[in-house]
Amino acid sequence: MSDASIPAVELRDVVKRFDDVVAVDHVSLQIAPGEFFALLGPSGSGKTTTLRMIGGFELPTEGEVFIEGEPQGYKPPYQRPVNTVFQNYALFPHMTVAQNIAFGLEMRGVPKDEIRRRVGEMLDLVRLSGYEKRRPHQLSGGEQQRVALARALINQPKVLLLDEPLGALDLKLRKAMQLELKAIQEQVGITFVYVTHDQEEAITMADRIAVMNHGRVLQVGPPPEVYEQPHTLFVADFIGETNFIPVEVLRVGATVEVLTAGGARLQAGWAEPSLNAGASAMAAVRPERMRLYRPNAAPEGRSWNRVEGIVRHVIYHGLDIRYEIHLAGGCSLHVRLPVGHPEAGAFQRGEHVIVVWPSEATRVFRRDS
Amino acid sequence: MNDALRRYPALRAWLLLAPSFLWLLLFFIIPLGIIVVYSFLQRDVYGGVIWEWTLDNYRRVFDPLYFKTFLYSLWIAFLTAFFSLLFGYPLAYFIATRPERIRNALVLALMIPFWTNFLVRTYAWLTLLRTNTGLINVWLMQWGIIDKPLPLFGNTFAITLGLVYGWMPDMILPIYAALEQIDHRLLEAAEDLYASGWQVFRRVIWPLSLPGVVAGTMLVFIPSLGAFVTPAILGGGKRLMIGNVITNQFLGAHDWPFGSALSVLMMAVMLLATLVYFRTGGERAGQGGL
Repeated sequence: MSDASIPAVELRDVVKRFDDVVAVDHVSLQIAPGEFFALLGPSGSGKTTTLRMIGGFELPTEGEVFIEGEPQGYKPPYQRPVNTVFQNYALFPHMTVAQNIAFGLEMRGVPKDEIRRRVGEMLDLVRLSGYEKRRPHQLSGGEQQRVALARALINQPKVLLLDEPLGALDLKLRKAMQLELKAIQEQVGITFVYVTHDQEEAITMADRIAVMNHGRVLQVGPPPEVYEQPHTLFVADFIGETNFIPVEVLRVGATVEVLTAGGARLQAGWAEPSLNAGASAMAAVRPERMRLYRPNAAPEGRSWNRVEGIVRHVIYHGLDIRYEIHLAGGCSLHVRLPVGHPEAGAFQRGEHVIVVWPSEATRVFRRDS
Repeated sequence: MNDALRRYPALRAWLLLAPSFLWLLLFFIIPLGIIVVYSFLQRDVYGGVIWEWTLDNYRRVFDPLYFKTFLYSLWIAFLTAFFSLLFGYPLAYFIATRPERIRNALVLALMIPFWTNFLVRTYAWLTLLRTNTGLINVWLMQWGIIDKPLPLFGNTFAITLGLVYGWMPDMILPIYAALEQIDHRLLEAAEDLYASGWQVFRRVIWPLSLPGVVAGTMLVFIPSLGAFVTPAILGGGKRLMIGNVITNQFLGAHDWPFGSALSVLMMAVMLLATLVYFRTGGERAGQGGL
């Protein structure tokens, strides 16, 4: 039914203004059939408004939303082949679990027998068989979440929209539900568009992530790409943990070279294309790519960056040990050494160390990006 | 003293409640007791009571003359509650769906008529509705829209209109409070699940507003059943409600025992109606609550 060459959802140059506030600013996206697609961004980034425009709860000021190639125009939510799992679930408090799940089919006049059968199937899918007669307030947060999912999925939408569906759950339950949601999505094969502000959640679950800020899509790609090759300072900062070192650009082109405030020369694997020599910039490195050595013991060569520093804090974190290293130029770096690594617990507070990391793991950004 | 209060928190609670209890005892429980006792006594020709027990007063209550008035009062109270709901619900819904600033202004506007005495407002209706000299009939005849005055006064219409006018805010406020609490996302969810505007109302908004409807209906029904100012003025002396009969027994006929029996019966009906209504309506409304 769904042609793989036609995107399940497409946004073409969509703008949404509320009075003079631009909530969504020229967003274009293509979401493939069966894809688990995450819209990731801080609050106010326009991710929820984008989702609501796909669902028909808001209409674009400019641009067009397509679902399976069909322009949606001014269609109201109930005329679109999508269903939504709302933030805080929005379960009908005066109806039982079964009545909640049956609601969409009932509204479309599906025969009673079929409704009963399909509600049963949905309860199986979300592992809530036996809960038919309960009311939402008698359920735990995780159970309510699953009812909300079943209530939407029973309508067999082309696209399921999820607005921070796990936001109200505690950490442990959230982790469990992440896996469960992903498993259900693979089982039913429906395209999921998933709004979250939790970068870890997006990385764990999504096939592709669109990172949004200030109403714009900054970067779209699979999680490893977005994590390892951020295109802007914002993305590097928002996703995962990153060390930023203020630098001056010495050379761009085939090889990128920068100078730290402490006078160290660093090689970088990538620099933002608009940067020129002499510009002030930020070098970014993930903490897990860095290693610590005693002076003299550090590896040499062009493929390694080296800076000197002093250990300020040693923090045990269970899986790893985190060091905070002060550099000569005034900035500090976080370095993570996994427990079990030969040098993991070897450094003391106040000790002189050399921080070493691969040159290609260094990315240089404009300060304002 | 302070130590004793600290040690016995229950004592402190009783002391704080004492003034309220005293008030209720003096002005509610004792008078109610007097009325119940009087209803079993006999009338003295000079307006007092003879201390001899009898059930005659209750027998007289079921005399068709009085019982019809009683049924008529129930009918008026029902009409009042019905029309207050019919006109009040849309207004409550309108107010509840405005932005917050406007909402508060509208609720305030709803209270403004209360700043004028109820009696004065009822007389104002009199000047509008009166058969020959009432403004509505006078104007309609002047403009040649009607030849004869419309029957706007001294009938069920006038009494019901006066009561609906008087008690409508008591219907609107609880419904407004219930509607205002409904999470807007529930309506979006229903819309997302293919419900039409009417279905969203019938399946989501109405059931969730039922607690307000139940409370509002009782708040209008009970005072309407016992009304006497409105029927006295707008009934034009032609249509009486049970409230007027009771007033008359105490002030005109000096038959306190019979007036007391009528009052006791009216209170019993109200109590029964309240219990039945809250049991059935409350159950349905309670589906949304705890």
